[in-house]
Parts: sequence; C-alpha cells; structure tokens
Amino acid sequence: MELLSRLNSPVIYLICGGIIAFVAVICVIFAVRAYKAGKALGIDVSKMKRVITASVTFAVLPSIGILLGVIALSGSLGTPWPWLRLSGIGALHYETQVAEAAAEAVGIGGLSIAGMTPEAFVTIALLMSFCIMWGMIFVTVNGKAYSNKLTAPKNDSQKAKKKGKLNLSGFGDIAMTAMFIGLVSAYIASYIGSIVSGDGRFTFTGSLLPLAVAIISAATMGVFMRLRKMKGAEWLDSFSVAGSMLVAMISAIFLGKIL
Amino acid sequence: MNEEKDLKQTEAYQKYLNTTHRLGRVFTIAVLICLLGAPFLMGAYLSASPNLPAAAKAFLGVGLVYLISCIVEYLIYLPMLGAGGSYLAFITGNLINMKIPCAMNARDIVGVKSGTPENEIISTLSIATSSLVTILILAAGVVLMIPLQPFLQSEALQPAFANVVPALFGAMACKYYRSDRKVALIVLTFMILLYTFLPSLLGSVSMMVIPSGALAIGLSYLSFRKKQKEAADA
Repeated sequence: MELLSRLNSPVIYLICGGIIAFVAVICVIFAVRAYKAGKALGIDVSKMKRVITASVTFAVLPSIGILLGVIALSGSLGTPWPWLRLSGIGALHYETQVAEAAAEAVGIGGLSIAGMTPEAFVTIALLMSFCIMWGMIFVTVNGKAYSNKLTAPKNDSQKAKKKGKLNLSGFGDIAMTAMFIGLVSAYIASYIGSIVSGDGRFTFTGSLLPLAVAIISAATMGVFMRLRKMKGAEWLDSFSVAGSMLVAMISAIFLGKIL
Repeated sequence: MNEEKDLKQTEAYQKYLNTTHRLGRVFTIAVLICLLGAPFLMGAYLSASPNLPAAAKAFLGVGLVYLISCIVEYLIYLPMLGAGGSYLAFITGNLINMKIPCAMNARDIVGVKSGTPENEIISTLSIATSSLVTILILAAGVVLMIPLQPFLQSEALQPAFANVVPALFGAMACKYYRSDRKVALIVLTFMILLYTFLPSLLGSVSMMVIPSGALAIGLSYLSFRKKQKEAADA
C-alpha cells in the first residue's frame, strides 16, 4: 500500500500531468491552425463548427469508457500513469494486455499491487510506452512521403487517360468506405463468431449481449437517419452516433440481466 | 481573377501542409521522448531502474504483435486521416475505438472527399477536438475519481461500459453498410465463417481488420471497374 501511495504522489502526478498538458497544447495548436487554414481555403465556417460539435458529442461516451480503463488500472499502477497512457498514445484494449505481459516477465505473477515493486512498475511503464510507439515513428520518418504519394493519383489518372488505361480517380473514396465496411465487419462478425464458437467450435455458449447492443445501436442510427431526411433536421447529424450509442448502452444495462 | 485566387489558395495550402509535417514531426519526437523518458524519471523518484532483460522478454512475447499492428494501422489509417490528423491520432491513440470513426463521421457530415484539402482540415479538426474531449473528461474523472468511482464501477452500469465498442460499431455499420450492401453482406458472411471455423482468431480481432478490409476493397474495386467499363461501352 505504501508503494501505491508513492505511485499517486504529487511528483508522479506532475510528471504525467505535464506530458498530458503538452499533448493538449499540441491538439489546440493543430485545431487552431486547421480552423484558420480552412477559413483561408474558403471552407464554410458553419461546416467547421458542425464538425467540432459532432466530434465533441461523438467523443464523450467513448471517453467515459476510457476513464473506466484508468480506474481499472489505477488499483495496480496508481492513477497518474494510466491517466497519462490513456490520455495520450495508449488504447483501451492494449494497455492491460501489455501491462499484464510485463508483470509476468518481471516475475510478479500478474498485474496486482500486492506483488508490485518499484522496479516492476518502472519496467511495466517502459514496456507500455515502448510497444506502441511504432505508429509515431513511422509517421515521423515516412509520413510526409506517404501522404504526398497518396495525393498523387490525380496525375496518375490524367496519364492513364492519355494512355487509354483504366481511370482510377474517384476510387479513393470508394476504397475508404470499403475499408470501413471491412473494419466494422471484422468486429460485428466477431460478436456472432463468439456466440457460435467462443468456447470452441460450435459450442453456442457465447454472450448475446455485444451483438444485441450492436443491433440496437444500428436500429437507433436508422431512426436518426430517417429523421435526418426531414427539413431542418441537419443538426441531428452531430448527435446521431452518440445518441445511438447511448440508447444501445442503456439497453445493455437492462439486457445484461436477461441475456 | 479566379485563377489567381486558386493559385494563391493552392500555395497557402501547400505552405500549411509543409508546416503541418514539420510541426507534426517535432511534436511527435518530443512526445516520444517524454513517454520513453517518463518511466526513467519516475524510476529516479522511486529509486528504481527498469529491468531491461525482463522488458525485452515481454516485448518478444507481446510487443512484436503490436509492432505489426502499428505498421498496419499506419498504412491503413494515414490515407483516411490526412497528414495533420495522422500526427495527432498517433500521438493521442485510441484509433479504432474513437479517432477513426470520429473523423469518418465528421467527413460524412460535411461531405468531403478523401485526399482533398477539405478532408485534411476536417479530419484534423475532428481528431484534435475529440482528443481534447478525452483529455478533459479523463482529467475531470481523475479529479472526481473518489466520488465517481462507486457510481462508474457499480455493477449495474458494467454491461453499458463493457459494450461501448459494439454500440459504436453498430451505429457505424448502419451508416456504411447502406453505401454498398452487397459488399457488406459478402464481407460480413466471410468473417462470420472465418471466426466460426477458426475460433482462435477471435483473440486477434484488430488484426482481422486486414483480411476483412482487403476483401471489401477488392470487391469494391471489381464493382467500380465493372461500372466504368459499362459507362465506357454505353
């Protein structure tokens, strides 16, 4: 318990809080620059304001979910470090897994304050930072070249047109939507796969709850999309995803008792 | 007159992009140094050093998976997010469960196309805003941790918070499946069969985005090519 109070000490809060404040400043700088550039490019200011409103409402519920991750990890790693990890580079599904693996490797058996030592904590913290830093490295080293390459298809399509080849302009958006269909399908299918084969092939013992929540959320979204077609209902766009999630999550509280 | 205005806008946008890359690189490196330095700094306060052989062992066990996952995320998500959005998203994390859907949602609301300056601006605004919301909610949560803990951790609320991701993807499925029902149906069926017959894959759903996305893009490409050929023949 003495270690836990040291992990929650003002010094650790200062180290972690300072980095979080730095990340917040970076977000503000990027947001202000984008807003000003958008204005200079002639993007409708009301559109940008709608994006900001929609992003705020969209982010609230997942953020509360992330806060639960902080609470869950705070019992073994103290509060400031999980707070930093999940405010910054980290991801909800990733942190516990890596922390658990690191805890086993340092020989404390698992992620628990009972066996935690200062050396184990520092090792776990280092590994949590190290394992997930690659995206930052790639985007720093190759981000400019890669994004320049992606904006090049205009010239390719013009060349293709001249040569009589297939024109790929316009496929970029289709590919993005397709990628998203793939992403969503990988997750929705996993809920069905878990029901059927979660405990071994065709055991049918998995929980129905995630699938039921996804269906309720989709149905609510469908209602939002219908309402959106009504005149003067554009404002609904900003709340449709967050609203659908909220309805589905409230349903989960009740469905959790029966499913 | 209009051409001159366009030229000025293009030049201003190019300048904006170059500065975004420069700032993005500097800030990303600074955050990386902070994140890797923080454990050592905390170690100095706790009078402890990291056990590097144990860290290396754990990295080989679990870290390599995340190395591959990071490569995939970088290749797939940078085109979706644009330059500014990518630097921010990789710094602030929570890509699949928040940043990507949030940016796509914002993009759809205002109807911009990928690879355009508008997409770059909207995506950056969206990711910066959602990141700030997370930072603020987490900061408020940490301050209110003691009074909030019993409520947030109450047993009755657990099914709700345990199902944030299904709730998110359900809403997004309704939105995106409408854009190409045939592709959605084929990909979803394929993935269900894959998980059903190879249940071990259920443990690595984030990696399964690769075959699922590749199949969806492949099918969309075939349909796109067919439509183009039909248009050319007509």
